[in-house]
Amino acid sequence: MTVSRRDFLKSAGVTSLATAVTAAGAAETEAQTGPRVVGPGDLPVTLMVNGKRVELRIEPRVTLLDAIRNRADLTGNKRVCDRGTCGACTVIVDGRTVYACSTLAIEVQGKQIRTVEGLSTGNALHPVQQAFCDVDALMCGFCTPGFVVATVAVLEKHPNATREQISRGLDGNVCRCGTFVRIMEAAMKAKGVARG
Amino acid sequence: MAKYSWPEKPTLLGSAVTRLDGPDKVTGRARYTYDINRPGMIYGRMVRSPFAHARVVSIDLSPAEKAPGVRAVIAWKEPGAQVMYQGDPVAAVAADTEERARDAARLIRVRYEPLPHLASVEQALAADAPAVFPGGNTQTGATDETGDLEAGFAKAAHIVEATYSTHVITHVCLETHGCVCEWDGDKLTAWVSTQGVYPCRIGFADGLKIPQANVRVITQYMGGGFGSKFAPDVQGLICAKLAQQAKAPVKLMLDRKEEHLDTGNRPSAAAHIRAGVTSDGMLTAFDGQSWGTGGAGALSGFPLPYIYNFPIRKRTHKNVFINAGPQRAMRAPGHPQGCFLTEILMDELADRVKMDPVAFRMRNLPPAAPNAMWAEYFTRGAKAFGWDKRHATGDPAPGPIKTGMGVSAHRWGGAGRGSQAHVDIMSDGSVVVKCGTQDIGTGTRTIVAMVAAETLGLPMSAVKPEIGDTMYPFSGGSGGSTTAASVTPAIRVTTVNALDQLFAKVAPTLGAKPEDLVAQGGRIHLKDNASKGVAWKDACRLIGTEPISVDGKWEDGLSGAGTSGVQFAEASVDIETGIVKVTRILAIQDCGLIVDKLTAESQAYGGVIAAINFALFEDRIIDRVTGQMVNPNMEWYLLAGMSDVPTIDIMLNNMPERGVIGIGEPPTVSTASAIANAVRNATGATIRSLPLHPHKVLAAIEQQKAGGTN
Repeated sequence: MTVSRRDFLKSAGVTSLATAVTAAGAAETEAQTGPRVVGPGDLPVTLMVNGKRVELRIEPRVTLLDAIRNRADLTGNKRVCDRGTCGACTVIVDGRTVYACSTLAIEVQGKQIRTVEGLSTGNALHPVQQAFCDVDALMCGFCTPGFVVATVAVLEKHPNATREQISRGLDGNVCRCGTFVRIMEAAMKAKGVARG
Repeated sequence: MAKYSWPEKPTLLGSAVTRLDGPDKVTGRARYTYDINRPGMIYGRMVRSPFAHARVVSIDLSPAEKAPGVRAVIAWKEPGAQVMYQGDPVAAVAADTEERARDAARLIRVRYEPLPHLASVEQALAADAPAVFPGGNTQTGATDETGDLEAGFAKAAHIVEATYSTHVITHVCLETHGCVCEWDGDKLTAWVSTQGVYPCRIGFADGLKIPQANVRVITQYMGGGFGSKFAPDVQGLICAKLAQQAKAPVKLMLDRKEEHLDTGNRPSAAAHIRAGVTSDGMLTAFDGQSWGTGGAGALSGFPLPYIYNFPIRKRTHKNVFINAGPQRAMRAPGHPQGCFLTEILMDELADRVKMDPVAFRMRNLPPAAPNAMWAEYFTRGAKAFGWDKRHATGDPAPGPIKTGMGVSAHRWGGAGRGSQAHVDIMSDGSVVVKCGTQDIGTGTRTIVAMVAAETLGLPMSAVKPEIGDTMYPFSGGSGGSTTAASVTPAIRVTTVNALDQLFAKVAPTLGAKPEDLVAQGGRIHLKDNASKGVAWKDACRLIGTEPISVDGKWEDGLSGAGTSGVQFAEASVDIETGIVKVTRILAIQDCGLIVDKLTAESQAYGGVIAAINFALFEDRIIDRVTGQMVNPNMEWYLLAGMSDVPTIDIMLNNMPERGVIGIGEPPTVSTASAIANAVRNATGATIRSLPLHPHKVLAAIEQQKAGGTN
């Protein structure tokens, strides 16, 4: 049985990751007291997803993606490569795009998490979502939620993004059906009208 | 066949209609198999062979049975059985969370006795190769021969003799293979990520030895198949058995590594070819000994020579078996391989007779190829692409960046066959169209609604398409680019017949004969007097409590077969690093009557991009010593990203008179060959093997400097 990189991180628990992801202040505290050891076994974890509190009891090794997909039934974002390469799990955490498959749920407590489900309001699509539909920037649609979230993020950062900026912003996402040409078209169409 | 035809002046067909399920897909509301969460559902996980070839000595399930949260454990292989490739299924477990299922799978103790393995074609063909496969490590097919080969070569002024090859790639469906199985007594409901709900029903029934009548398969959305998802496979049967044992719904989706190892691949292809040409550029003879591997026990055939007319030819093919996951159909099976092997050769032959590659190809097109539009496409494409600016082989420009152009042609079938459909028109005017096909991303759901709406003279929103379920009438698997050509005639026939029934009810109220009526713009009115008619809803009030309910099926005359296409590529090559950058692609393609222009174009874009991956990036790499795949992931199994995608122009040739023909596969055939020829044109060095990875490009350039690859 081989151990994947992420399995290793998971079995190592939070000890190695916590220092890497917590803010500088917290890291200093840890330097004095050592990282707090949590688990094994379920822990209460509270996530702020699309403006709503999600209360879970999960093991500390559960990723953000598995927490929202398997425990909160938010199945829009997908697991595809499961190791931070393909972008199908892209969510926005405190304004930055994050691969949810490679982020532990316990690390993002207290942060604002936005998933693909949080972009539309009722039946009104986000301008990026509308543009994807209008120009057929999707086929099977499995990568689409990740691409939509990544496009929203790049256009929030660069409201008048150039093709190069969009390209760089979306280079962390992979589509197997080959919708790239039309995703670029959708992003160019949505820019300027995209809102946060 | 006078009764059924496509409208001469369609309102919807051929226009750009956005796909109906776009909003569900962009919001995350679309529920793929992977997203099905059933009450009380638990998670399955498989244990697979880490060895390329071994005998299973023993399987101890007991440590897993005692693990936290475990609800079911099964052995798939018996002690004494052999595993024939890394990833061959051995056992499985189901537990209440995915994490616990993974833990428990690790606890299953399997003892193996490793056996000698064949990790590559070279190892399988070696004189001292161990006998691994019953019946031999190779299997040679019949020789295909026409004419007197030596007489053909005697007429040749030039002969090119070389070896060409392509590599193995995997499908990399973004949604991995898998399913959710739920039993209700002896009845199984399976949500499957599949290209064929009906073939899967048969697969479950056969594999579990239960009646087909007890199986329902549902696929509302699926995340890519490309030819690899027609059956429940071992994981489907295991999932059903785990669900039975645990008395709970089980979700079993493969992980990325399993997906690379055990869900199919495009076989490799290679050939040693001798080909002759006269001094005025006429092909004379072709002699090819080909081989390829489809993995453990699977075949590797492909067409050769491809398209061009070698009047005298001989070809033998040898299937080579290795200890790797078996192949499955992959987007235009065999054609990208045969196309590459032939098209590189064609450019070499053109250079020998100092002819332009386009002119050379046009001179050697087959004499009788029904529906083939190659000659016209070569001419149109060359003009649109700026082919006249192409330099001879080897970019004379100074500096390390060389650019070049290449061309390639292809063909495909795409014929329709026996789909069935059902339509209900109800007294409130609503319309439901049912067909047991599935949408694999091509837009099938949308074209079902388009054809019904077109026939009934209604807007798309007035028609509800129901697909992806064995509760609906039979339709075959989505393979061979046959879906559009199978489904749309069935919908047309069924809705025409339903409309006839409605006309019969409406005609007396208008004082007309049913055959004088037409449905248009949401009304039913006289053909020659649009003012004399009724609104759709008012017409449907005449239906009463018993809906108009009609079954129908595919009939000949509404679909066609045989597509052709030509593609042009422009690429730049950095001769210091060997990195190839594709800058432009032009794809010309026919597909009969275009149903939805938007989704048809998307398929052509997709085919081209898939082939850029085939040409430049993806490669299944197996370690020659251990027989292990070294890149069963997505960071070392490379696929194009946004920055790798060139300018792509698609020219679809609408030919309504030919009926509907599928387009999913043909556009992916030519691209890699056109790119390889562009690289040859840029560098002056011939690379006869895919992928065009930098080390191969550099090696070919070095070889060219040292005395020539040509």
